[in-house]
Amino acid sequence: MKFKEWLLERFPIDYEKFVEFNEKIFIKEPIPTHMKKWLFVMGATPLIIFGFQVLTGLFLTFYFMPSPEMAYESIRHITEDVRMGYWIRGLHRWGANLMIISLLLHMTRVFFTHAYRKPRELNWIIGVILFFLTMTISFTGYSLTYNQLSYWATTVGTNMIKEVPLIGDLMLFFLRGGDVVNTNTLTRFYTLHVMILPGIIFFFIFLHIVILRLHGVSIPEGFEEKYYSFYPHHFYKIIIATLFLLTLMSTLTVVLPPGIGIPADPSVTPTHIKPEWYFFPTYRFLKMVSLHVGIYATAAFVLVFTFWPFIEPLLSKEKRKQTIFSRTAGVLTLIITLILTIWETIVI
Amino acid sequence: MDTVKAQQWLIGIFSILLIVALIIVAGVEMKKSRSFKPEIEIDDMSAKCITCHEKKGIAVKQIDAWKESKHAVSGTGCYECHEAAKDDFDAFTCTGSDILIGRHPTPKDCAKCHEQQVAEFADSKHAHQFWLLKNADRAVFENPIATRHGCEQCHNIGNIWPDGSVGECDVCHAKHSFSKSVARQPETCGECHMGPDHPQIEIYLESKHGNIFKAKSAHWDMNYTSKQGEPIPLEVPVCTTCHMEANETQPLTHNVSARLAWESQMTWSFRTVWNEEELGNWQKKRERMEAICSSCHAPDFYKTYLLTADLVNLQYNEIRRQFVYWTKKLTKNGKISRLEVNGKFYSDPVLNGWDEDPEHLMYYGWHHEGRRFRMGAEMMGADFTQWHGIWEVQEDLMEVIKWAAEHGDTEAKKIAESKHPAKFITYALYDMPGNAWGIPTKTNTTPFVYNNYPDYWDRVYKNVEAAYQRGLLSDEQWQIWLDRYENKEYYLGNKFSNSPVVDSTFNVYKKRNEYDLKKMKEQVIDLVLPGKSFFKGRKF
Repeated sequence: MKFKEWLLERFPIDYEKFVEFNEKIFIKEPIPTHMKKWLFVMGATPLIIFGFQVLTGLFLTFYFMPSPEMAYESIRHITEDVRMGYWIRGLHRWGANLMIISLLLHMTRVFFTHAYRKPRELNWIIGVILFFLTMTISFTGYSLTYNQLSYWATTVGTNMIKEVPLIGDLMLFFLRGGDVVNTNTLTRFYTLHVMILPGIIFFFIFLHIVILRLHGVSIPEGFEEKYYSFYPHHFYKIIIATLFLLTLMSTLTVVLPPGIGIPADPSVTPTHIKPEWYFFPTYRFLKMVSLHVGIYATAAFVLVFTFWPFIEPLLSKEKRKQTIFSRTAGVLTLIITLILTIWETIVI
Repeated sequence: MDTVKAQQWLIGIFSILLIVALIIVAGVEMKKSRSFKPEIEIDDMSAKCITCHEKKGIAVKQIDAWKESKHAVSGTGCYECHEAAKDDFDAFTCTGSDILIGRHPTPKDCAKCHEQQVAEFADSKHAHQFWLLKNADRAVFENPIATRHGCEQCHNIGNIWPDGSVGECDVCHAKHSFSKSVARQPETCGECHMGPDHPQIEIYLESKHGNIFKAKSAHWDMNYTSKQGEPIPLEVPVCTTCHMEANETQPLTHNVSARLAWESQMTWSFRTVWNEEELGNWQKKRERMEAICSSCHAPDFYKTYLLTADLVNLQYNEIRRQFVYWTKKLTKNGKISRLEVNGKFYSDPVLNGWDEDPEHLMYYGWHHEGRRFRMGAEMMGADFTQWHGIWEVQEDLMEVIKWAAEHGDTEAKKIAESKHPAKFITYALYDMPGNAWGIPTKTNTTPFVYNNYPDYWDRVYKNVEAAYQRGLLSDEQWQIWLDRYENKEYYLGNKFSNSPVVDSTFNVYKKRNEYDLKKMKEQVIDLVLPGKSFFKGRKF
């Protein structure tokens, strides 16, 4: 007790109020009973993984050097020479993949349980923004490996920015820091990947959680409106999820360690350029139609997807019909995404 | 599953799982940190050799080198190569044991596993002991003891062993690591291909290829396996890249003669006919070399470059013709004589001579300077083409003519005493309209022959055409030459030499030069020191 007093003297907060606040906000946070089902833990998963990504990413910055001459070599060094380097890199790489998978699952769950509906529309939009931010941070991270595949995926990926009306060319030049992917692109992507994007993601996560807490977790249809305290049950659940994820990522790192590929060669365009798997649906779609049509159609889809909570009520006034519309749109999106992904995976 | 107890159990289970996963991660890490050295399984026989050698401290470093080799990993131990039968020329019982081993593993032993490589090597000029076939008993000039560690050390690469096999693999693949990266180092080729008579390593290091190699190669992995269909994994070629290794279209070969189009080490440059039956004619060999060039360069560049080098080889022949003319004439007239004992000659008026200046100069004009001139041109060694090449070849020839003039040859006297600059060009010329490097604008405005012989290019045309008709240039090369000839004002840059923009740039440097000369005169030429000479006025 002596230490507590010593500390309170120097950090004079109202301890009783602090305990009360802590109990209210964390310990006794009302968790609806449906959350006892594992299916509904998918919201916390990306958050846990994001924590891992920050931690492993920090370790990687100890060795990674964002220059064309050194990027590939430093990744090789991390993977092959640095003690436990392959593990940290494996966690980071698998973390990126699992984060996207868990986000997709979380969004699917939210969509099909209609958790985005009034009054939670804004949180849906923030969630969608977080999803696209995650895609962007993954894209910039992949580019940093500077191997032949990532270099050309970056070239092709950034090329699309050119299609933005009026300022496309300027934006592309600004992002790349030149006409082609070069030293400047690498340093820009590095700053984006380790500072700007994580900062923005932090902000949106904070907003996402604040709004969630203000509304409380939405209760899907068919579940009772009963609650239990965050601690210990849900707290343990999160610990379990953390342990499970760390085990899973470690195992994946050992079984399927991320390779380093061959060094980027700007003078040799590979015969087959492919982005990371989570861009497969878009990539396949862009190859099917003209670039213009493809990009505008994708942009339209993204807009509809983002503002779906506001669009849904416009389609029908009846809740039942809204649900039918949503389910149909959701199932169609899922099927098309899946088909495009599989298609792109199996074709050369 | 919903109780807190169940949750606690799950935490316990996953903690254990995580610990197991982390132990596996650590295990992989430990294996990785130890796996820098490949695992070597030493069989009983090799273990015997190694134990004994290490105990007695005999050639232990060779064992260390072997441990780094692919042989060690693949289970090829000591005895696999050093195995011997009782009657083998190099068989002996290893001291302190009853093991019969061969002292000199020969290509025949290597061929047990590397049959193709040994066969390719034996088909190359590396395996050819050409100097034994023509009288060049250098021991009359250089002591035999010198040749043991001189000539013979390098030329052991073509040794014919008592078992009938030819060559020495470890000349390039240093024993006992037999490392590919050592064999690939330009310095490995440079162990022999260096010095005044064939300075390939110096030429390479002067070239852009060598320059980039020196600047960047410190961290390159030179131990790669060269495979047909795969791009060359180096930014610039080393010697083996062009002469031996595979690229997108070419297979790896240990026949270094498969891609050479000239015999430019010879007294005369002639198109190679080495094993034409299997390797094809010189054009086929050149195609192979060009296929390697094309991995990095555009055809326009390397074809122009190589054609220019070919014309250098042809030009050398015309100068060579002069040397032969003079030494033959001087021999015939009794001004110089051949070395002879009991009817056997020890020198040759067209090959070598050791005692008289014209013979000696002719020898240098071929064996040293003449090769540097040609090889420098073939491998991007500008200074070797110029100052260590043609400049010294010309000097040698002028010395021969001067010597002949001083010894009463009237024709030589006429040349020596002539005041006309053409005295240095007593032979026909080849030329190339322009170069492979770009379009010069001023450099071709000054040469003496361009300005004093209106029919200069007609003469050159006829010479190049004659070489083409003799099969010394290919159809394609003749077309490239013709294209340049027909547009020579462009390629020579004359078309641009008087343009205002060129003149204005040129005049900047012209003015600076005038200023330089003026200052040089002021600073040093016009300086007269007050102190007297120490020699002036002395009797001795």
